[in-house]
Amino acid sequence: MYEDIAKNRAKTVLLILGFIFFISLIGYFIGMYFDYRYGYGTAFSIVLLVLALVIALFVSAGSYYFSDRIVLSLTGARPLSREKDTRVYYMVEGLAIAAGVPMPAIYEIPDTGLNAFATGRNPQNGVIVFTRGLLEGLDDEELKGVISHELAHIKNYDILLGTVIVVLVGMISILANIMARFMLFGGRGRRSSKSGGGAITIILLVIGIIFILLSPLVATIIRMAVSRSREYLADSSGSLITRYPAGLANALKKIKDNSQVRKANSATAHLFINNPLGRDSKVIFKKLFDSHPPIDERIERLEKMSLGIGTS
Amino acid sequence: MVIGLVTLIIVIVIGIVLVIGSGIGIYNSIVTLRNRVDNSWHQIDVQLRKRYDLIPNLVETVKGYAAHEKETLEKVIAARRQGIEAGNIKDQAKAENMLTDTLKSLFAVSERYPDLKADAHFSRLMEQLNGIESNIAYARQFYNDTVMKFNTRIQTFPGNIFARIFSFTGKDYFEIDEEEARGPVKVEF
Repeated sequence: MYEDIAKNRAKTVLLILGFIFFISLIGYFIGMYFDYRYGYGTAFSIVLLVLALVIALFVSAGSYYFSDRIVLSLTGARPLSREKDTRVYYMVEGLAIAAGVPMPAIYEIPDTGLNAFATGRNPQNGVIVFTRGLLEGLDDEELKGVISHELAHIKNYDILLGTVIVVLVGMISILANIMARFMLFGGRGRRSSKSGGGAITIILLVIGIIFILLSPLVATIIRMAVSRSREYLADSSGSLITRYPAGLANALKKIKDNSQVRKANSATAHLFINNPLGRDSKVIFKKLFDSHPPIDERIERLEKMSLGIGTS
Repeated sequence: MVIGLVTLIIVIVIGIVLVIGSGIGIYNSIVTLRNRVDNSWHQIDVQLRKRYDLIPNLVETVKGYAAHEKETLEKVIAARRQGIEAGNIKDQAKAENMLTDTLKSLFAVSERYPDLKADAHFSRLMEQLNGIESNIAYARQFYNDTVMKFNTRIQTFPGNIFARIFSFTGKDYFEIDEEEARGPVKVEF
């Protein structure tokens, strides 16, 4: 378990660095393009990068700070209380102590599918939402597995990470958008006196243009890769809280074919413990865009953990 | 020549800044981890206190139905008082375990009084008690986790150097002393 967690954290750092490198590459190509058309490539590209970042931040800031309230209003949730929902309440309270986080606010949505999600910008403002189907369909150990998975998301600041990535993806989309306009509608500009280098420059430019136009797609793929990776991390971290990976494994078996939540949509889908919109993608290309890892793979990893094979 | 010298000085200065910076970082992280250990130890106490506070209520409720079970009730009260008055960690752990045992007997007693079992107030108290017992276990688990992280930090390089300089000592895990607590549980009816 500990090794899994360490490896996963390292992978996240790598992915983020990859993102930054990717953005730098875009900036480089932008600079090259502007150098070719108008000159002052470096200045242009820096201005554009900063502009895109500011716009993306602005758009995402609201959703981050009010993430808990927004999500709750979206899905029609009812708060759970110590008196009426004793079983869940005590479980969450105890596991939060084991996790070392303040107890999150807990809610229920009246859906028959088995699912749950966590949100909140930091552990002090954590929120976990369960479907009625989940609370009624799982036994104690399975429910503890799910709760600890969600607590792990909160503890690992996955919501913050998700927002940072959304900002980066947004920034890339904005850049691609602006560049596409420039390339289509930008008038004849004076060539930079440094122009020359002929064929190679043209080839690089073409590559650069394609790269920029495809970048939102690549960015989304990277974002989904991070999301899937953090799901595995939440599985491992959660198991460290309960010290009982089989609990979550059994819960996932029950959730596997029954996780559809009516009120979820593609914007909120990644927050759930399993895809609330229907089946996992089997087609490789679509798999790149799944926010969650294939559930059978998750079950297998958890069961290996509980037998003490392979990972420590 | 001069440029070479200036560059050298700059590199050395940057080097020193980096070393001091990481030194500060390591020291601070050791202190942070140690404070987490202390905090998590006291969080166990919070749960223990909740248990102590609950018990008088529980005892009164049981007395209402099973007044002649005086012996069991008195054991519970005595164990509780010992827990509160315990001076050091060892004594407290002993008192705690004794309290857990007496509470188990109390629960066994309640099995023989269907009226007591049916009492809503009693059920609520038992529910809370179970919740607290779970929380105590979780709090101890978390305490051990923080101890592990702290001990690891001061035993591995470079933390161990700082530990020696500033006299940080390893913390003890929460342990159960009695051999019988480690053995299989005997259930008697």
